Amino acid sequence: MHLLEVRELEKRYPTFTLDKVSFSLEPGYIMGFIGRNGAGKTTTMKAMLNLIHRDGGEVFVNGKSFFENERACKGEIGFVMGEFDCYRNATLKTITDVTRRFYPDWDETAYKKYLDRFALVEEKKVKELSAGMRVKYALALALSHNARLLILDEPTSGLDPVSRDDLLDVFRDLIEDGSRSILFSTHIISDLEKCADYITYIKGGKILASTDVISFRESYRLVSGDREHLEVRRPKLIGCKEHAFGFTGLIRAEDEAAFQSCKIAPADLESIMIYTEQEDSHETAVL
Amino acid sequence: MKQLFYKELKLCLPLQVPLFFLFAAMLFIPAYPYLVACFFTCNSIYYMFNQSVGNNDLLFTALLPVPKEQVVKARVRFTVAIQMVMFLLLVPMIFVNHKLVPQGNPAGTDGSLTFLAAALVLFTVFNAVFIPAFYRDETKSGKNFLVSTIAVFVWIILWEGFMITSAAAQAQVPFFRWVAENLDAFPATAGAWRIQLIALAAGALIYGLGTFLVSRKAVRIFEQVDL
Repeated sequence: MHLLEVRELEKRYPTFTLDKVSFSLEPGYIMGFIGRNGAGKTTTMKAMLNLIHRDGGEVFVNGKSFFENERACKGEIGFVMGEFDCYRNATLKTITDVTRRFYPDWDETAYKKYLDRFALVEEKKVKELSAGMRVKYALALALSHNARLLILDEPTSGLDPVSRDDLLDVFRDLIEDGSRSILFSTHIISDLEKCADYITYIKGGKILASTDVISFRESYRLVSGDREHLEVRRPKLIGCKEHAFGFTGLIRAEDEAAFQSCKIAPADLESIMIYTEQEDSHETAVL
Repeated sequence: MKQLFYKELKLCLPLQVPLFFLFAAMLFIPAYPYLVACFFTCNSIYYMFNQSVGNNDLLFTALLPVPKEQVVKARVRFTVAIQMVMFLLLVPMIFVNHKLVPQGNPAGTDGSLTFLAAALVLFTVFNAVFIPAFYRDETKSGKNFLVSTIAVFVWIILWEGFMITSAAAQAQVPFFRWVAENLDAFPATAGAWRIQLIALAAGALIYGLGTFLVSRKAVRIFEQVDL
């Protein structure tokens, strides 16, 4: 059974539409949710959690309809939206004291462990924490009530490289027993390369791909060649950058044969995203 | 709901709320429009809502394992709790007022059960104007408070004006004499007690029903709001 299933989620704004977003996540995996700024990542996450009013679609958490079982489903989810930016004059101790009462499965030992791991001091007020420390506090709260599903919006933004690496280790530890999953959005593609099992890629409110990282990467190739090779092959390029000596671009793996005279290399996630976003005219032909 | 109440107490209650309960002592003043004392409670409730905006309280609460409607219901019930504390403080104050100002209040209503009923209607007016507007757009809480203040003061002026008129014209108009003797005075007779208890019951009914409808409307609005 899917731990998370999003089915045709819709949200219409005057200038933006979240267009029948669908994807699912099995227990025991990490899914990276990628897309440019304004692509709809945060809107999707908020619509999933009923923070914004959806115009259609369903969300299932552990087989239960989220919108019909909001209390139970929220209890199984740990959600972090960037840095913790609430009750700036309250101490972490007070906020935690309030928060833990909502979770019957609150794990005080785990909470203390994360406080130590993230070097958080409970007596400090929120306003006294740096942006990175606020992210860590939000994570400590989300990780301490035995949530089976963690939904994290930009959790690594604002963290230094050491903390980011440490956090990715925490993610891997969390899913190790196969019962939990993590969905996290990020702009830092290298974080996904390190820990994501699945990728869901959203562009302009539409899901372009939702698959495992290896298949996703293997469905593309990076090609580079001379300018003379470019014009005839341009229609097959998803995106390309021209330079003095020729071009570098992204192609679908099945088009590899047409680029035999060019240099072909495996595509990395960042290149796939950059080239895909580069060519809006190719939007419908991407996958 | 118990946990949400605890959250309201620990994270959302501003100092103004307990501090402004002291305005119940305005009934010690010999000549004053006593309903204004209740406005200060509304003012402190506004501080609470406004502080919640800065604290991102709605988002924090909506992310807790509670249905979205409970976020609103808990806040409305907490608001009712604050208003009820003020109401309960006003109960002994009407007896104190009767002792301190036995000749009656020349600036408006006297301390009486009818005054308590008028206080409940004042709270209803405030809740009806301010709370749904807050959930429609929390960023406009200042403007919403201004509008609700105007509504509350319209009620204060109408009520206090009616009581002043009754006191001034009781010699000429029998209806005003009846009002001055039975409604706008600490009850002196069993009949006056009965009339004022009916007035208080009517006030309680308006408050109970009004706040219930306000809560329902605010929930409906909040369900449509994007956080």
